[in-house]
Amino acid sequence: MALRELSSLEKFLGLKKPNKYSTQGDKKVPVLQSNNGAPLVGLVTIACHLVKEAKRLELLGDSAESRAVVQQWLEHRVTKLDGCTKEEMKTILKDLNLYLQDKVYLAGNQLTIADTFMYYGIHPLIVDLAIQEKEQYVNVTRWFDHIQHYPGIRHHLPPVAVLRNRIYTGRHH
Amino acid sequence: MGFGDLKSASGLKVLNDFLSTRSYIEGYVPSQADVAVFDAISAAPSADLCHALRWYNHIKSYQSQKNSLPGVKKPLGQYGPAGVADTTSGSTPTSKDDDDDDDIDLFGSDDEEDSEAARLKEERLAEYAAKKAKKPTLIAKSSILLDVKPWDDETDMAKLEECVRSVQMEGLVWGQSKLVPVGYGIKKLQIGCVVEDDKVGTDILEEKITAFEDFVQSMDVAAFNKI
Repeated sequence: MALRELSSLEKFLGLKKPNKYSTQGDKKVPVLQSNNGAPLVGLVTIACHLVKEAKRLELLGDSAESRAVVQQWLEHRVTKLDGCTKEEMKTILKDLNLYLQDKVYLAGNQLTIADTFMYYGIHPLIVDLAIQEKEQYVNVTRWFDHIQHYPGIRHHLPPVAVLRNRIYTGRHH
Repeated sequence: MGFGDLKSASGLKVLNDFLSTRSYIEGYVPSQADVAVFDAISAAPSADLCHALRWYNHIKSYQSQKNSLPGVKKPLGQYGPAGVADTTSGSTPTSKDDDDDDDIDLFGSDDEEDSEAARLKEERLAEYAAKKAKKPTLIAKSSILLDVKPWDDETDMAKLEECVRSVQMEGLVWGQSKLVPVGYGIKKLQIGCVVEDDKVGTDILEEKITAFEDFVQSMDVAAFNKI
């Protein structure tokens, strides 16, 4: 899963030669052995490295504040979202829904890798949601639909059908 | 299409509802559509219209590259939900200037100009009607959510879904489905589909689905929505 996300990111960044990854431990943490120095361990570490390599620093956030927000969401993705239970899933969606109410992207006014990796991470949850639930988390659904249509993001994941008009109006936002 | 009067609270409310499921007015990138609507709004929407405010702030961040955004500006009436007209004051050149002229130009040859204007208007109307006639009529579509109930908890739901999806008709596209527990271990199949109104009706669907008597006990329309 994580390896496919990294290769999708490589394609998005337009990196010419794909890197070779290995995994370690039970949780299959990705490892990148670079030519110089120690190996890079972990999804977020490798992702940030790839972005810097591609010289697309704006994807890490364009101000000090949004850089911090990006890091926080990446951490949230790896620590909270991955391997969450059904109960936790509801809380995560609810919190994210509230957070996205006044935002188009997770950090600042442009796409960052926080959006990319939250999208990859939350995809399996969204796929299983019924139409009613998708409408209940309308802000998440809107953000999700936006990111999945952003050019170059959705590589290894199937698109999720999202209704753009609401059926069950008058419910919570 | 349109948002009603974007300078009034009701127009902003329409905009707010419209944007609850969208990040931009059109498509998935900022475009001239956003600029056109943005310019029509006099000030930032109030905080209770959270979706409109979110969009407003986001578009404001593009102000410096406003003119380089893709797309062509269209009149406000071309955007927004169907079934709402655009009545924003100042969005179309009003006849305010003409009124002023009338006041001053007491001896002007108004009649002549009027007849000229009327002729022009008629000509344009005819042109528009001809253009409209040539355009293919829009196909009306609906998205339907169906509840299909099995006989008991021993009914093979996978098989049931297969049967339902095997219903093929022109203008019918099956969407995502889900099993919803009803009680006592019985689950119902909730399945979405998009149909063309002229070709597929719910009664035809019901007839075809309930034809699988071995699996299907009954079928209800849970939600019906025009697209």
